[in-house]
Formats: sequence, structure tokens, C-alpha cells
Amino acid sequence: MMFSSDGFLTDNNASSANARQTHVFTSFPNSAVDVDDERPENKSTTQQQSDSDKYALPLPATANESAPEQYHMWQIEYYQKYFQVDTQQVLERLIGSMTPRPNKSYFDSTIRQNPDLYGPFWVCVTFIVTVAISGNIVNYFHQSDAEFQIDFSKITLSAILVCFYWWMMPTSIYFFFRWRLNRIEYTFLELLCIYGYSLTIFIPISILWIIPIGWLQWTSTILASIISGSVLIVTFWPTINADHKRFSTVSILAVFFLHLLMAVCIMLVFFHVSDNNINPTTPSITLSTSTILTTSKKIA
Amino acid sequence: MATTIEDDETPFLSSSSQPMGMFTGDISGTGNQSNKNELSTLNEPVLDTIKRDLGAVLRKFGYAVIPRESSTLLQQWDLWGPLILVTILAILLQSSSTKASSGVEFAQVFTLMLMGSIAVTVNSQLLGGKISFFQSVCVLGYCLLPLLLAAIINNTLLYISSKSAIPVFHIIRFLIVMAAFGWAMYASTRFLGQTQQPSRRLLVLYPIFLFYFLIAWLIILHAHPK
Repeated sequence: MMFSSDGFLTDNNASSANARQTHVFTSFPNSAVDVDDERPENKSTTQQQSDSDKYALPLPATANESAPEQYHMWQIEYYQKYFQVDTQQVLERLIGSMTPRPNKSYFDSTIRQNPDLYGPFWVCVTFIVTVAISGNIVNYFHQSDAEFQIDFSKITLSAILVCFYWWMMPTSIYFFFRWRLNRIEYTFLELLCIYGYSLTIFIPISILWIIPIGWLQWTSTILASIISGSVLIVTFWPTINADHKRFSTVSILAVFFLHLLMAVCIMLVFFHVSDNNINPTTPSITLSTSTILTTSKKIA
Repeated sequence: MATTIEDDETPFLSSSSQPMGMFTGDISGTGNQSNKNELSTLNEPVLDTIKRDLGAVLRKFGYAVIPRESSTLLQQWDLWGPLILVTILAILLQSSSTKASSGVEFAQVFTLMLMGSIAVTVNSQLLGGKISFFQSVCVLGYCLLPLLLAAIINNTLLYISSKSAIPVFHIIRFLIVMAAFGWAMYASTRFLGQTQQPSRRLLVLYPIFLFYFLIAWLIILHAHPK
């Protein structure tokens, strides 16, 4: 080690070897790995590469990697592991969430090996979109001469409600299981998956809600929440059953009740036809019939 | 250990130009291919630049309307077309006459389209598509052209038949918008469907379907000006 004429501390042997060469790096150091360990290995590989074929096409960065790359939170590849599903699998899970089978939980057969976030997210978004559009159609039929515009405040409200339900229930169940059982029976991702897919049945129901018949709306809501609620209960049954009898019934009822509550809230906010909301044209009809009756009485 | 800096050498920290030259054009998503000529276009007259860029944008509109060639739109992406389309569509979809709320409506429509494009693009990337963010936004934006044409036709039809509320016109407008929706869907399927493996193609196409359906719904709604 000695000082060169420029004033830089340099190694004499290295400078003569590297004088006319430029390094082409082909494998990039993993920033999670210790830098000191990485440097000698990089230098040796680049030395070989540049010595043997200086002007050939450099290999892609993953050519020398034997272990899978560690992605960071701000790279999109980090989240790809939550989206490893095919079309067929998603369709299976959607149908499985709507058909309760008493002994087989669809969760064990389909989701457990491979939980994904694609299905739950897009089911929620579709639900919000269909509720918004159906609510719009209902407004159009109720107030026939009013503006036929999308009310974004209502849509935002419903979006917040649905997303809140989709995230809060898994969070509370996760912490409940941790507190009660002291172990992680279902991971948070699996719970998100279960609850996301459980909203599937409400998508066709929200189109049914357009029909302004009161008892039809109530029965379809209750039926839909019974069906998807029972799928939820079948999924959680093995874990809950191991607990005290009274406690397990209370928790099952709580799960089911909250599911029903969410559905009823959405229905009431957007769609419900009560006696007060009847079409404004009907009072005028009753008015006109009463005037006809009075005039006919006068004439008669 | 520091390396010496010699005066007649290329400066520290730059590799030789040869491997870098081999990179250009091989990786899709590097944007424009005129990297080598970057410096030379600085000196040309402004009219030439505008004509060239405008020509590129118009050519891409042509590819979006009649989907025949799939490489130009993807590799030479630009965001001018989507910006123009989304702005004109948002202006057309304003309906209220008061100044205050019409500004809010413009912002709502614009934000909806922006967020929708971002959501669809991120979704296709997460599912492992070989497409970059801006390429996907570019294709989605350019394929909005049929819907914009339907909105313009709707507005002119409304203007012509403004006083008569004949149901036929409602049906005609509805059919025009549905046809434009199908056309936009077909065009974007041609471009974006190729970038995914076949087992996941439907998963990628479904959000695009939702996005264009929402925009078509907004255009259908815009039928009752005060």
C-alpha cells in the first residue's frame, strides 16, 4: 500500500492488474446480506467474467442465484406470493363459500394450502360496485324526475362499511383465538381469505334487492346470511367445539349475528322500501280518486 | 481500496459503453427507443417535435380502435393519449349547471378513472404479468376511445332530441354505449391478454371488465341534463 501521484492510497499490484479493465457486475449483492461477506465473492466472480469474455453479453442478474431472492416491502414482487392462484382455483373457492356442507369445510380442502388475496379483494370491490349501481337504480325508480346521478357519499359509506367488516372480523377473531387458546389456529391471511369469500353470496342478492317488495328483501337477506354464516361456522367448528359448551355457542352466535348485522345495514341504508318511502305519485292518485268521489257525490 | 483516477480514462464508476448498448431495446418497458438520439432532438424545431409526437399519439389511437398490431402500443408507451381521453370524458360527464358542483363531479370522474387504472395495473402485475406499470396504464387509456366516441354521440343525440322523451332514444343510447363497451373490452383483451399465462387470463380480464363497466355506467347515467 502506497500513495500514488494523485494522492490516493492504492495497492500497487492491484492497480497494475486493473489498469485497463472495467468491471461488469452480473450478480448484485443482496442488501440483507452482510456487505463484508459479499464483497470478496463479487470481486472474484467479476474478475473471472471480465478476464474470460470482456465483450460478451452479461448474464442476467438471476443467473448465479441459487437461493430465491429476498424482495423488500416496496417491491411489488414481495406481494406476489399472496396472489398465486389460477382461475380454476378461484372459481372453486367462490362456489365453496356459498355451499355449506356439514362435515367438510371447504376451507380445509381449498384454501388452507394456498391462501390468496385476489379473491377476497375483488369480491369486496364487486360487492361495493353492485350495491352502488343497484342503489342508483332504486333511486331512479323512487324519484322519477330527480337527478339520476351517482351519490358518491353513499358509495363511500358503503365501501367503508364493507371493508371495515372484512378487516375487523378477522382481526378480532385472530386476537380472540390467541387470547383464548394461546396458539395461532388460523393465520391472519387465512381469516382474511375466509371472510372475503364469504361475501360472495351477497353479490347476486344485492341485485335482488332492487325489487321493491319489503318481505322479499328481508327474506333474501336472512337467507343469504344464513347460508354464508353457516359456511363460516362449519369452518370454525373444529376449533370452537373444543371449548366449553356455553362459550362455543355464544361465539358461534356472535359470528352469525355480526354477519347478519352487516347485511341488514347495507340493505336498510340503500334499498329498504318502507311505508314512508312509497312512490310520490301514489298520494296524487289517492288525491285524485278522492276528488272524483266528492264530485260524483255532489253530482249524485 | 480506492482505484486511481487517470485523466485519459473514462471516469470512475462508469462501465464500458458496449454492454450498455446491448441492453437497449432488448428489455420491454424501457419506454422510448430514441435514447441514442436524445441529444440530437434537442436542436430540432419545436414544430417537428410536436408533429412527431402527435403523429405517434394518433397512430396509437388507430391501433386501439382497430386492434391489429400488438407490439407498438406496448413498447412505445406514452401517457398523452390517456390524459386527453380521460380529461375530455370527465368534462363531457359533467351534468349540473352550477359551477361549484360541476368541478366536484369532474374531480370524481377523473379520480375514479385514475384509481381504476392503477388498481387494474397493480392487479395484473401481482398476478405475475410481464408488463410494466406505465405500459398497462397506456393500453387501458387508449382503449377508452370507443367509450369516448359513444359519449360524444350520446351528447349530440341528447342535444338533437332534447325536448322529446321518446323511449326509443333511451334504448338507442343504451345500445350504443353497450356496443362501445364491448369494443373497448375486445381491444384491451387483445393487448393485455397476451401478457398473462393462460391459466390466469380470466383473473386479469375481470378487473378490466369492472373498470370499463363502471365508465359505461357513468356514460349511461349522463342522460338527463337539467
